[in-house]
Amino acid sequence: MSMRGKRLAYRLTTQACLLLMSVLLTGCAGAQSVLDPAGPQADRISKIWWLFFYVSAAVLLLVIIFMLLAVHRGRVREKGAGDVPEVDEKRGSAPDANLERRMTNTVTGATIITVIILLVLTIASFSIGRSLSSSMSEKDAVTIEVTGQQWWWQVRYMDANPGNIFYTANEIHVPVGQPVTLKLNSTDVIHSFWVPNLVGKKDLVPGHDATIWFEADRPGLFRGQCAEYCGLQHAHMAFWVVAETPEKYQAWVAQQRQSAQEPSTDAERRGQQVFLSAPCIMCHTIQGTPAGATIGPNLTHVASRITLAAGTLPNTRGHLSGWVVDPQAIKPGNRMPPNSLNPDDLQALLDYLQSLK
Amino acid sequence: MSSSMSSNMGSRPTLNVAHLPSHGFDTRAPIWWGNLLLLMIETTMFGILVATYFYLSQNFNLWPPPRSEYPVGYNTNPMLLIPTINLVLLILSCAPMYWVDRSARRARKRATQTGLLICLVLGLASIVLRWFEFPAMRFKWYENAYGSSVWFLLGMHYLHLLTLTAEVVFLTIWVFFRPFDEKHRVDITVLAVYWYWVAAIWIPLYAILFFGPRII
Amino acid sequence: MAETEGTMQEKIDRSAVDNDASAVALMEERERAELERTWASPKGFFGWFTNTNHKDIAMRYIVTAFVFFLLAGIEAVLMRIQLARPENRFLGPDLYNQIFTMHGTTMMFLFAVPMMEGIGLYLVPLMIGTRNVAFPRMNAFGYYVYLIGGLLIYTAFLLNVGPDAGWFSYVPLSGPAYSPGKRVDIWGQMITFTEIAALVGAVEIITTVFKQRVPGMSLNRIPLFVWAQVVTAFMVIFAMPSVMLASQMLPADRLINTHFFNPAEGGDALLYQHLFWFFGHPEVYIIFIPALGFVSSIIVTFARRQIFGYTALVLSLIATGFIGFGLWVHHMFATPLPQLGQSFFTGASMMIAIPSGVQIFCWIATLWGGKLSLKTPLLFVLGFVAVFVLGGLTGVMVASVPLDLQVHDTYFVVAHLHYVLIGGAVFPLFGAFYYWFPKWTGRLLSERAGRWNFWLLFIGFNLTFFPMHQLGLKGMTRRIYTYLPETGWGNLNLAASIGAAIIGVSVIIFLINVAWARRRGLVAGDNPWRADTLEWGTASPPPSYNFADPPIVAGRYALWTMTAETPVLKGLSTKRREVLVTRVMDAEPDHLYELPGPSIWPFLLALATGETFIVGIFTPWGFPIGAVLSLLALFGWFWSKPKSEGGTAADSRQEQSLLSLGEAQGLPLKKGA
Repeated sequence: MSMRGKRLAYRLTTQACLLLMSVLLTGCAGAQSVLDPAGPQADRISKIWWLFFYVSAAVLLLVIIFMLLAVHRGRVREKGAGDVPEVDEKRGSAPDANLERRMTNTVTGATIITVIILLVLTIASFSIGRSLSSSMSEKDAVTIEVTGQQWWWQVRYMDANPGNIFYTANEIHVPVGQPVTLKLNSTDVIHSFWVPNLVGKKDLVPGHDATIWFEADRPGLFRGQCAEYCGLQHAHMAFWVVAETPEKYQAWVAQQRQSAQEPSTDAERRGQQVFLSAPCIMCHTIQGTPAGATIGPNLTHVASRITLAAGTLPNTRGHLSGWVVDPQAIKPGNRMPPNSLNPDDLQALLDYLQSLK
Repeated sequence: MSSSMSSNMGSRPTLNVAHLPSHGFDTRAPIWWGNLLLLMIETTMFGILVATYFYLSQNFNLWPPPRSEYPVGYNTNPMLLIPTINLVLLILSCAPMYWVDRSARRARKRATQTGLLICLVLGLASIVLRWFEFPAMRFKWYENAYGSSVWFLLGMHYLHLLTLTAEVVFLTIWVFFRPFDEKHRVDITVLAVYWYWVAAIWIPLYAILFFGPRII
Repeated sequence: MAETEGTMQEKIDRSAVDNDASAVALMEERERAELERTWASPKGFFGWFTNTNHKDIAMRYIVTAFVFFLLAGIEAVLMRIQLARPENRFLGPDLYNQIFTMHGTTMMFLFAVPMMEGIGLYLVPLMIGTRNVAFPRMNAFGYYVYLIGGLLIYTAFLLNVGPDAGWFSYVPLSGPAYSPGKRVDIWGQMITFTEIAALVGAVEIITTVFKQRVPGMSLNRIPLFVWAQVVTAFMVIFAMPSVMLASQMLPADRLINTHFFNPAEGGDALLYQHLFWFFGHPEVYIIFIPALGFVSSIIVTFARRQIFGYTALVLSLIATGFIGFGLWVHHMFATPLPQLGQSFFTGASMMIAIPSGVQIFCWIATLWGGKLSLKTPLLFVLGFVAVFVLGGLTGVMVASVPLDLQVHDTYFVVAHLHYVLIGGAVFPLFGAFYYWFPKWTGRLLSERAGRWNFWLLFIGFNLTFFPMHQLGLKGMTRRIYTYLPETGWGNLNLAASIGAAIIGVSVIIFLINVAWARRRGLVAGDNPWRADTLEWGTASPPPSYNFADPPIVAGRYALWTMTAETPVLKGLSTKRREVLVTRVMDAEPDHLYELPGPSIWPFLLALATGETFIVGIFTPWGFPIGAVLSLLALFGWFWSKPKSEGGTAADSRQEQSLLSLGEAQGLPLKKGA
């Protein structure tokens, strides 16, 4: 083998090893991971996961070991194989009664152990299952209504006082240490709400309201994603859960309840005019302006959000501009039409939208 | 083509079956089993349709739902007259079919012919009556889920009535114009099983469709 | 049992026949020539449409299903290319959605079920020692309907009207409001076609096994392969009606404005899920149970011993068949359902692991007590055990409601279902190909290529699907056409895509092996593996009439228990397509039954059925026209029944050409008769 060939082989081997390592070692931590729980719901499930995991690993290992032993044994005896094997019916008894009895005992034992294992796992699963649903209490809980739509999430913060109700989209802020009740529904097709770090999924089925609850133990950003296939842009229907201290949360709520910030510069004022005269107004609401349509996400505080287009883009001026001009290139098939604005109008519009903290 | 077995076949004992008859009735006939399995499939279908009917009823406060369009009315329970006549007719039709069944087994050609003709007339009558059972439901299939599910149930059973009658037509033609052979005598007894089934399955379906709403 | 033996023994003529050997040979030759003429499959282009031989029809099923397997495999590779790196632009969302829908639909409906039934339709009549299935024309009809369904959906796919609502087509996404156009209607009617074919095949298999077993094959001597096929057929009968109704209600909602699934008019989206999964879960077992039959056959042959725990295995199959119907809601744990119901389904889903466990234990015990010859088919079976056990264990995980709420609709489930279906069905299937290829073609596949085939499949499979467990736990949801780089799913996806390429290489090696072996493979002979079941007791490939003189079965392992004293069956007509009908329980001879020969009517009826549902997509007139056409086809069908009018016992005896010929020549064929 030539030097170059060797080097190539070496490089390929190291790369393969690195890949394998990364496959095996990619940590379980992450903003969208089942095994990095950040609340009691996901925590309970991760505990039962590890129980199932270790039991399964042991069973798999035992089965494979016994199978390989059996193969080894059978290979050794292969030479003794006759043309036509002996069978009970011809001989009137088993070919090797002793062996047969031992195997019967072993298989019976293994079956009994299987039943016991399954029983234990079933009971564990029932008890965890009960604890997940029973401790739901709507008292003192933050109540949020989440509506799935193709392909974004409308979020409505409920309040006993109708004046305090407000809307946002694709972003759910929750206070750490307080239970949150979610009322889920869908206006079009079936979606599924899922934030792996916090809570298992629940389907949003039109005509069937669903309620779940969760709680965040620690502050952090947790990514959620639609888990039920819902059409063209199912892949781009994500959202973020922002768990923050109760103080920060309260501050955020107070800010969200307000109407949109009035434009303060000329550019912003011009941007507002662009918004109100362009097709934007057909679908979006900006509270405090004439824009009041509810087909698309509510933009009253759009600049305060982390992402655009249901978790698809970071909320920066560049991405915002790209999204406004040609959303179909980014998220083909979504309901937002392309907008051809002249550069000045576009810049003004961006100024305005970015001022909507 | 030479197989190891056949090379020494000449010296092997044989089980000669040449003397066996060429047909058998009931469970002896493969066609009887084939028919039974098809009826199992169809019974499963009806079972699922009935489950669908009750599943959908959970979505309604009133079942059947009241009418919101002209003619507005709160009594939307299905009408009973024609469906009940048809039910009685179907049950009674089992008697001539039983006669056909018996006659076919005993190779009585004339009786089989007569019986089949009677059944044919009854089958056609039932088809005509069924046509008026659809309006008896008071809802069209496109009005609501109740309408969809009852039309589907009626329609599925209607399809069986049509198939059944088509089979009677076929076998009637056969016994009049072709030899009254054993094979078709077996077929006639299998047809009878199908007939009994179509009549029998209609009894619970009738009860559910026409009296279910009055009870739940 | 003893009593049965007694009654049959009386009829068996045990007197040894010593007559002129050459005269007997001549007789045999004539007899075979006559059988050959009687059972010959029609030749030529038109002959193809009239053939009713179960082996030819079954081979069409197998080849057609394998072509669909390759197509679905290509679709899988396209998806893996798209997902190999984040934000890949290889496939757009519309094409990707069509492709993943086609992949699932093809694998489930056009590959797995027809393939398993096809192998059953080929082997079951041979294994039970009869000459054709009970209803040969209906069998042919089933194939044509299946073919029409497959052609319909692939034509649509090529015309860019391929279905895109997933292989499950959940409403309302697949409903009139969110899937305009004809895509979903075509999907629905394709389902109807394949279900008709599956139901027809199931009726064939049950009736044939119940009524046409060779004398001596009482219920407790039926090979496990045949048991598996019977259990599957019963599952088909109870599961398929549900999806047939769903696949009629869905187009009805779309085309004639019914409201089964429309919540605005009292319909229910969850009703569809119930209907679909009441079929969909048993479907998994419908695919997987026949494979258990392959496994049992292969293990017995290559472990060179009787199966350990025959009764336990049969009962496990039956138990699986029953419990399989109690699991469907575990696909719906995340829907808004009452808690109580879920517990029942968790219990049932856990319980089904018990019969599967028993089967695995019995097979390992059989290997333990055996004298192994480690040929390729057995290699695939060993791979099956390893892969399937892992899939079964993750199955126990998804049966648990809390765990399922996390992993449902993620790549964890993608991994699970491929471990169960590829592990549980495709590994045994490749084993079956290596095992029965010599019976089908008369030549052996290459062992060396077989080993490459196996190891590449095993490695490629695990590299593709094992990382998906982790992807699921890391939050990757199913049916997404792309993902963002910051999700951190890139490396694992790349590994999976590399694995898919390895699987592709493995399948190509198999294809080359088949092409090579068809011409150059070692000539197999009747029974290259020295196996025990009856199909190995006739030539390879079997003659059109299967057996000249089927041997009477004296034990569970027909060929291993056969001795020079085992009688053979005589007296079936050589001039007519006659089979022996026996009794259900003990397989006592009952009567002789003439099966129909070649016929064009099954094909015409299939065309009429095709017209009904395909034209029905575009105009409701398709249905009445189809009804009339079907009626005409059925009349032709029944009118052309084989004429055995006046075929009384006396006549049929006269037709025993062999005997009369023998008597005429003064040959004492039946001494003492």
